[in-house]
Amino acid sequence: MKGVLVARLDNMTERKNAAGPQDNQRATQLVAPGEDLGDSEGHELGHGVIAIDGRIRATKNGRVNVNGNTISIEPRRTAYVPRPGDLVIGYIEGCTNNIWFVDIGAPFNAILPMSLGPSKADFGGTRSVIDIGEAILCRVQEVEETHSSVVTMKGMGLRKIRSGAVENIDPHLLGRLIGKQGKALRQLKEESECRVIVGDNGRLWIDGDFNGTLEVRNRLRSLTAEAKAVTLGGVA
Amino acid sequence: MSIPLVPQLLRSHLRELADNNQRLDNRAQFEGRDVELEVGILGNAEGSARVRMGDTIVLAGVKFQTMTPYPDRPNEGGLMCMAEVRPVSGRQHEAGPPSAASIELSRVVDRGIRESGCIDTSDLCIIPGEKAWQVILDLFAVSDDGNLFDAFALAGITALRNAIIPQEKFELGEDRPLIVSKTPIMCSYQRVGGRFIFDANGREELGGDERIHITLGDDNHVHSLQKGLKGAFTAAEFTELMEEARKKGEELRNMVHSLEGGN
Amino acid sequence: MGYGDVQMIDANGIRNDGRKAGDVRPISIELGVVPVADGSCRMKWGTNDVIAAIYGPMEAHPRKIQRQDRAVLDVRYNMAPFSTSDRIRPGFNRRSREISKVTAEALESVVMLELYPRSKIRVEIEIICAEAGTRCVGLTAASVALAHAGIPMTDIVVSVASGKINDVVVCDLNKAEDNYGEADLPMGVLPNSGELVFLQMDGDLSPEEFQEAWDYNMNAAMVIHDYCVEALKTGRYPQ
Repeated sequence: MKGVLVARLDNMTERKNAAGPQDNQRATQLVAPGEDLGDSEGHELGHGVIAIDGRIRATKNGRVNVNGNTISIEPRRTAYVPRPGDLVIGYIEGCTNNIWFVDIGAPFNAILPMSLGPSKADFGGTRSVIDIGEAILCRVQEVEETHSSVVTMKGMGLRKIRSGAVENIDPHLLGRLIGKQGKALRQLKEESECRVIVGDNGRLWIDGDFNGTLEVRNRLRSLTAEAKAVTLGGVA
Repeated sequence: MSIPLVPQLLRSHLRELADNNQRLDNRAQFEGRDVELEVGILGNAEGSARVRMGDTIVLAGVKFQTMTPYPDRPNEGGLMCMAEVRPVSGRQHEAGPPSAASIELSRVVDRGIRESGCIDTSDLCIIPGEKAWQVILDLFAVSDDGNLFDAFALAGITALRNAIIPQEKFELGEDRPLIVSKTPIMCSYQRVGGRFIFDANGREELGGDERIHITLGDDNHVHSLQKGLKGAFTAAEFTELMEEARKKGEELRNMVHSLEGGN
Repeated sequence: MGYGDVQMIDANGIRNDGRKAGDVRPISIELGVVPVADGSCRMKWGTNDVIAAIYGPMEAHPRKIQRQDRAVLDVRYNMAPFSTSDRIRPGFNRRSREISKVTAEALESVVMLELYPRSKIRVEIEIICAEAGTRCVGLTAASVALAHAGIPMTDIVVSVASGKINDVVVCDLNKAEDNYGEADLPMGVLPNSGELVFLQMDGDLSPEEFQEAWDYNMNAAMVIHDYCVEALKTGRYPQ
């Protein structure tokens, strides 16, 4: 068995002296959590970075983004965390007399109070309006500091999903699916002649002709496969 | 195992797909996912195999222990088959004692191998009435995207067919290969969207109904059957599945044998 | 001399597997080995073979384990029945419970749990082939898998053990050295700050030997950290 030689490198000093994010080469750099990104002085901190002892440090695995003096990380993978205003597709997981509990793919189930439901229902009649296991198109109304969220179905186009199919893709692939100014998505809709509604939580509602639905799904499958191949192929 | 929510939309969509003779991943009704089979991947097991079917990945490891033969069978050793579906393999699998589902899984795979008579238990005898080999087949799910049954059965028989009895370690002479005379193969079918399909993936399993597991031996003898989950099927449907299982079984059996060229 | 006077290092300082005192066993890392998980990693280290998978953050059940101010890490270290030379009976034992606990506490120091109140992050560590130092491999693999899952962390934990064989301090004990050695010092290091989040020790070390073992661990951790970072950037190490 061959051993790996341990070099006595003083990595710490080398890293501490690294140039700051203003260095252009760092703009397209891939980082791992904990990696030093230079002096925090004069920089705004965006997603995926924190400042420790005057140094910027990555907290996520992904690509460094420098926009003006804001430094952030575009993560390679990420969990969906709801934000007010997000359009999401949820499944009803349970209900009480006046509340539905909705799985929106977040760390915590959301609440849909009857007052924000789709139509008038008698107290105790939640299941007759939307039953357990049914899917809804809804909007995140508010997110508490403890991450519990409230969703609403009052709004344009928000409804119970009665036909078509719901598919998932990883939330970080949404950007690639939609494309610049929604171009890729628009093209997909035109080609498949399907209605495609993209939820911010990575769930998509595809509704339309059967063959069109298959076409959309195949596009999603190849997108996911491509992303996997890129990560494993080392191109990233 | 926590019981996952079955989205109603998924069920209606699977029905629509079935009506159009389509599946979620573009497979034909009785088409399986690509199978990847690897042997000898576990350094500390006396025989091992890894099976990958789509995103379902399982491992099988064979270990040997000495045991006292059962009084009614003093000249025979034993075979034990244990399947573990640990929480590593999926979001829906929770920690804790084995669930009824994983015990069923373990017993169905065990029956298929045991009843085929592929292992001659009298060959495992060391000293009649006193000492014999116990073969322990441990099945381990790494990633569960449906149809653990077939994956476990395939990994199990492959690991056994490549196992070495560690006689040196127990100071009982030279190591020798475990003799496995047959290759029982399990094929599982599940009713999804109203019709039976082969090798259901995780989402098809979630939105499906009853399953039928068929284990066939080398000469197409039936060695184990199991019907699981809620639902009823007709004799005509079963006949069709048996026919399919014979074809598929042959294919998979040849795959297992192709790894044994060296012996 | 060591227990039973087993000679495991020769006059030229070459160990029974050909390594020098400060060498680490060969390491390879692969990401995404559990396709259904939110993040996963397989780490081979010598003949150790470990799979770590992450699920979550998700709703914490039962409710009594929920923390209002942060997420809980639910770490499970487990050895597969076929992972060792004598079969292990399945089920939780005292050893794996202790290792799960110290691993969870080491990871809690780097994972930014406060960002996911009331939720749970499941960390599953499965040893599928064990040689020596599985707790170190498990902890390192778990932190790489967490990073792969996109869980925010302030650093990666890199864990490695040094020990003493035949009165010589050596880095990263193998099976025989672990069995017959006189001391074992596993540490979990944060490579970017040089802090420690995991420390155990058993055996007998003089103050000088202790310092030497400590230094070996620190240096090895920096090298292994580079492998982990490489794997996170490209999906595997070595390429």
